[in-house]
Amino acid sequence: MKFWAVRFGSIGLAVLVSFGIGMIAQGSSGTVSRLLALAGLYVTLAVSLNLINGITGQFSIGHAAFYQVGSYTAAFLASILLSRGVISNLGTPIPWVLVAVATSLVTAGIAGLFIGLPSLRLRGDYLAIVTLGFGEILRIVIQNTPQLGGSYGINSPKAFVVPYVWMLTFLCVGVCRNLLQTAHGLSFLSVREDEVASSAMGVNVTRVKVAAFVIGSAFAGAAGALLTFNEGFINVNSFTMDVSFIILTMVVLGGTGSVTGSIVAALTLFILPEVLRDAPAMPLNAVLGTLAGIALLVGTIRLAMDHKGLGRSIWMPKTYIGIGIAVAGGIVVSVLANCLPALANRTIPSAELRMVIFSAVLVIMMLLRPQGIFGVRELGLKSFFRRANA
Amino acid sequence: MTAGLDASALPQQLLNGLMFGAIYALVALGYTMVYGVLKLINFAHGEVFMVGTYTALFVSWQMGYFQGAPGMTRATSPAVLLLMLVASMIVCGLLGVAIERFAYRPMRKQARIASLITAIGVSMLLQYGGALVLPVSPPRSILEQVNPYDGNLSIPLKPRNASLAASVDKAQAEEKLAALALEQRIKQEGVSSEFDLSEEGKKIRAASQAAAQVSRDAESRYNESGMSLNVPYGQGIMFLATLGLMGLLTYLVMFTKTGRQMRAVAHDFDSASLMGINVDRIVTFTFLIGSSLAGAGAMMCATFLGTQLTSFVGVTWGVKAFVAAVLGGIGNIPGAVLGGLLIGVAETLVVWAGGSQYKDAIAFVILIFVLLVKPGGLLGSAKVEKV
Amino acid sequence: MPDPILSLQNATIQFGGLVAVDNVTFDINPGELFGLIGPNGAGKTTCFNLVTGVYKPTSGNILFKGKVINGIPPHKVAKLGIARTFQNIRLFGALSVLDNVVIGGFLRNQTNIFASMAYLPGAIRETERLRDQAMALLEVMDLADEANGRASDLPYGKQRRLEIARAMATQPDLLLLDEPAAGMNPQESEDLMNTVRKLRDDFGKTVLLIEHDMKFVMNLCERIVVLDHGEEIARGVPVEIRSHPEVIKAYLGEAC
Ligand SMILES: Nc1ncnc2c1ncn2[C@@H]1O[C@H](COP(=O)(O)OP(=O)(O)OP(=O)(O)O)[C@@H](O)[C@H]1O
Ligand SMILES: [Mg+2]
Repeated sequence: MKFWAVRFGSIGLAVLVSFGIGMIAQGSSGTVSRLLALAGLYVTLAVSLNLINGITGQFSIGHAAFYQVGSYTAAFLASILLSRGVISNLGTPIPWVLVAVATSLVTAGIAGLFIGLPSLRLRGDYLAIVTLGFGEILRIVIQNTPQLGGSYGINSPKAFVVPYVWMLTFLCVGVCRNLLQTAHGLSFLSVREDEVASSAMGVNVTRVKVAAFVIGSAFAGAAGALLTFNEGFINVNSFTMDVSFIILTMVVLGGTGSVTGSIVAALTLFILPEVLRDAPAMPLNAVLGTLAGIALLVGTIRLAMDHKGLGRSIWMPKTYIGIGIAVAGGIVVSVLANCLPALANRTIPSAELRMVIFSAVLVIMMLLRPQGIFGVRELGLKSFFRRANA
Repeated sequence: MTAGLDASALPQQLLNGLMFGAIYALVALGYTMVYGVLKLINFAHGEVFMVGTYTALFVSWQMGYFQGAPGMTRATSPAVLLLMLVASMIVCGLLGVAIERFAYRPMRKQARIASLITAIGVSMLLQYGGALVLPVSPPRSILEQVNPYDGNLSIPLKPRNASLAASVDKAQAEEKLAALALEQRIKQEGVSSEFDLSEEGKKIRAASQAAAQVSRDAESRYNESGMSLNVPYGQGIMFLATLGLMGLLTYLVMFTKTGRQMRAVAHDFDSASLMGINVDRIVTFTFLIGSSLAGAGAMMCATFLGTQLTSFVGVTWGVKAFVAAVLGGIGNIPGAVLGGLLIGVAETLVVWAGGSQYKDAIAFVILIFVLLVKPGGLLGSAKVEKV
Repeated sequence: MPDPILSLQNATIQFGGLVAVDNVTFDINPGELFGLIGPNGAGKTTCFNLVTGVYKPTSGNILFKGKVINGIPPHKVAKLGIARTFQNIRLFGALSVLDNVVIGGFLRNQTNIFASMAYLPGAIRETERLRDQAMALLEVMDLADEANGRASDLPYGKQRRLEIARAMATQPDLLLLDEPAAGMNPQESEDLMNTVRKLRDDFGKTVLLIEHDMKFVMNLCERIVVLDHGEEIARGVPVEIRSHPEVIKAYLGEAC
């Protein structure tokens, strides 16, 4: 009895929180509302890729492809409904949104099945390049399919999906969490650890891998469908290799295999570039100088970390010298940059800067904390999240 | 010719494919060498290539070949080209070494995926950072400004049908006659032919046009009866240079002490270091060589293929070259060359067959099929895990 | 004479030009402690790989409980009731000691994956049951104190014991142990000998083991087959093997 009370209580809570976020979104500007939706989608994407990559150990680096399959499935469905007059240009009613999400879940799951199949034969980097290639092929095929809007893109009537985005997010996190609590989840982890030993212990490695791909990509597909209705317009540029890389980065930065890590990393990495979008334009030489300074700083900290005996703490005299060097270096670079006629007196709009800062932060975080923000640990909530690693 | 496949263009297309493929191969070598020693997909390699193309561009500018510079005619100095090549190779080589030293080496003891993410980060940093400072070059800029080797080398494959030559002569003679008649008529009437609306005038005009058409047809039939390969001199030189560099690399890897050590490190990193090989030195050397080959490829790509340069130019070239490396069997040097050439040829064939919009997909399609049949790539062998 | 639980009938496998296992024939009776020995590279591990479905024999047959099992994939072989350990320890290193054993029991899991994803009571109960069973096995193997540690953090000898516990969790009828005492000190290997004997006596397992430690094999096994270059060179009870001229030659020949 208590079990079911807790169960329905937590489901109810998740739904409530989702609608709560929805209400915040409704009450705020279009930009904030959009960000709230995208944040949930990215968490879903990261957690679902973590199932394939971190938990099952299948090196997939083309997750955006499944996101794309789902997104285009929904858009295509919406275009059919539109042409039949079932829905109008004013907006897609929620029941139809949910139908589209379910359909996308299935199509992306099927796509996951197809990509999962090579994983039975291919390992590591070879599988990685195939997953990447699948995304590229898909992109080019869509670009040349007029029914899907070709390279221009495709419009779909919008819908207010923020609550459903977050319900999907909770569902995805919940499913991964549940799986890891049970023996089934352990069989996924065992495939990551050692395929030969797993199969000797009776684990059907084929089935596990395919299941991971299907579940992971189905969630990505559902996320794609919600993206379609949230944006009202999609084109292939929303699903480039960079998007795949960002999702992958979220997984690794969160600590491979750690569900909570994926969540936190997804939120951080997602919010970072969005915040930067609104930053003021900055002088180019200052930007270059700062980058150089940061690079020097990271270099010296890294050296200090590597140095024997200095141990874990990075706060030691050498670090202050490092900071000194970094500041000096940064100033030198920015002065030098201003001396070059091509670079002098230019300002950089923040939109162009955000990806630079994003990638700089990425490299720095990897250098300083290669095992991910949380290592392989789960964050807090120990009784709730079982650890994927001992 | 009809809309179908033009078989007579095939040899030319194959040749073009090989030329493109040679550049893919050069870049693929860098991927494969780095993968060989570190088992790392060096995602930043494409951006090293990008920096190489810009180095070539900037050197050409420094030498005065600025777009639209007054009094500038096409350069005729191979020395400038050589300078561009050397500069690209040096800059790229050093960049590669720096990336390895500062971004990859600290990660070497970490999980491989951590290095991979770092590589992706470095790659994005160079792309977007480059976008801040680098100009977008007009397409074909270096090609038109610097490449001194104008014109084509024409290699006849099959002589033209001599009997058709006579018919061409005949048709041309008739065309001349008809044109003469038209001219006379214009002179006589004193009106320009277009306004000559009399029956007679129309007839003469039509006859002249028909004769011209017949003559054109005869000529093209004559031309198509033979076959020749056209190689732009620049591309020919590029191809030879590529072969030369590959030869050099083979010598380096197979017959020098450093090359032997490199192969030892590739075979077993840990044992090699236990055997007293300075692995850091070898890794640095590998990045130096691999990246400077990318620099060479970049310079030639920018100069002879007329590619438009943006800071993202390395993405497409890099990914395709990487696919080439995997296709041949990553870690395998001849495999990278084979893979590169194959992809170059496949792409031109797709364009030739009328599917130019699918050009960028074909590399991946081939890759997936090859890997499904041969999971280790064409020349590589998938490691069988011993139980 | 009871029906043999495992029979190799002219089992042969070739890797390129190398015949790793050449026409090997032997039967193991239920409840036996059976030894498979031979110098390095003799083809012992390959025999295990044939039995467990890692490789398919080039010719000949492998019968388990009277049924031909050639070419059946490893996870199905495990389900039939054959479990093994690995010569080069292959634990799930990043997972806890307990989880390693739970995975061993997973093949008898009755619930489907959807129940696990939804965390239904059935799935929870099943996981609990597997965990209890795993804990009991850890007691038997003297590893209970380490249950929550990382498997890769265990000392070598305990890792070998954990491999056995994990194999036992699949509830096999036949247990294949590949050099279980390798790298153990005399005390540890003495303990292990008692444990293996217990697995047979108390749990009724049939054990086929590969071992280079002659004292271990001679004291433990009831019958022994000796391989060299893939071929059988001798068989019999320990005393016969100890003084068998071919065996002495094979081992001494290796030493030279
Ligand atoms: N997958 C394989 N491919 C090629 N050769 C193999 C393969 N597996 C085993 N061999 C070869 O078969 C022979 C027998 O190997 P096996 O591992 O069975 O020996 P072993 O008796 O277990 O020796 P050890 O006591 O050293 O463990 C060896 O020469 C080995 O190299
Ligand atoms: Mg062995």
